[in-house]
Amino acid sequence: MNAGSPDVIADARERLIARARREHLVTLGYSVLDSPLGPLWTAVGPRGVATISYGQEPDARELRRLVAVFGPGIVPDRKRTDEVARELDQYFAGKRREFDVAADLTGLTPFYGAILRATARVPYGKVTTYREVAKRAGNERASRAAGGALSWNPIPIVVPCHRVVATDGSLGGYAGGLDAKRRLLALERGEAPEGGWPSKRGLTRRSRSA
Amino acid sequence: MKEPAKTFGELLERHEREIFAYALRLTGRREEADDLYQETFLAAFRGWPPPRRDHERAWLYKIATNKAIDLDRRRRPTVSIEDLRLAAPDRDGITLLDLGSAIKTLPAGQRAAFVMRTVEGRPYREVAVALECSEEAARTRVSEATKKVRAALR
Repeated sequence: MNAGSPDVIADARERLIARARREHLVTLGYSVLDSPLGPLWTAVGPRGVATISYGQEPDARELRRLVAVFGPGIVPDRKRTDEVARELDQYFAGKRREFDVAADLTGLTPFYGAILRATARVPYGKVTTYREVAKRAGNERASRAAGGALSWNPIPIVVPCHRVVATDGSLGGYAGGLDAKRRLLALERGEAPEGGWPSKRGLTRRSRSA
Repeated sequence: MKEPAKTFGELLERHEREIFAYALRLTGRREEADDLYQETFLAAFRGWPPPRRDHERAWLYKIATNKAIDLDRRRRPTVSIEDLRLAAPDRDGITLLDLGSAIKTLPAGQRAAFVMRTVEGRPYREVAVALECSEEAARTRVSEATKKVRAALR
């Protein structure tokens, strides 16, 4: 018997998480999804997707926000992220234009929430400007603030902040890097991007055994 | 100095393999190790937050040790005839009830050591791990406990 076997621990962990959920100790379940843009640390709660972070783990600021809003009950739980993983997979394969999963904007300021909701209404394959998003969020003069808010969009891709660019036509910024923004926009224009879509492996779930 | 874990997930990812291995050493059986792992982390989640600074790991070990003793008590409320002979080899006519009562009079540390060693036949090394003491101390506890049990059965 190998105590270090990941499967043995994965089974025990699954039962542990189920028990912790029954005791209402758990708020979010996360896993690291593989994508053509690299790993995406993704957490989902009962109200929908709470965060999609580029990378193997959320940055310190985002983790602080999650703990402040959702408490410490944030656990590895692949079942919770299955649905968004499937939708992201379809999106990256060019087979999905809108996400059915809900975005959980709990704990964000009203302005922030308004900016993200306005961004979520920008259609697939289109781009708009920070000024336009600020206008739709109720404050046309807040385009810089809109840019600031979108530079820290907790749910990129599902809330498509990559469709928002600077008023002068330049790309602006992006949490996943400008290359990721270019690739997402190219995907939505139906162009076959360099490196090819979709990824060969698709969106597979990875366990996060440390 | 490592920051204490901010989320249950962080705590699991840092320590679950080690705690599972420890649970396996304590119980010697996969199913029981599985239970012990779950009880340990559930207790940690309920007792959140972890202690400050570097005590997080020791905190989990302590919880696991105490839970192991709890699970033991629940699983083995009675002692077999064979164990009875081990405990009091030179007496006939001793009932399980007698032995059970004798064990109950032991102080907690000696009781756990006696049960693990004499009843379950675990090596002293494991008794020492479970009780967070040296093997020497584990031997002393078992020997004192055995004397007391024998005296109580006379």
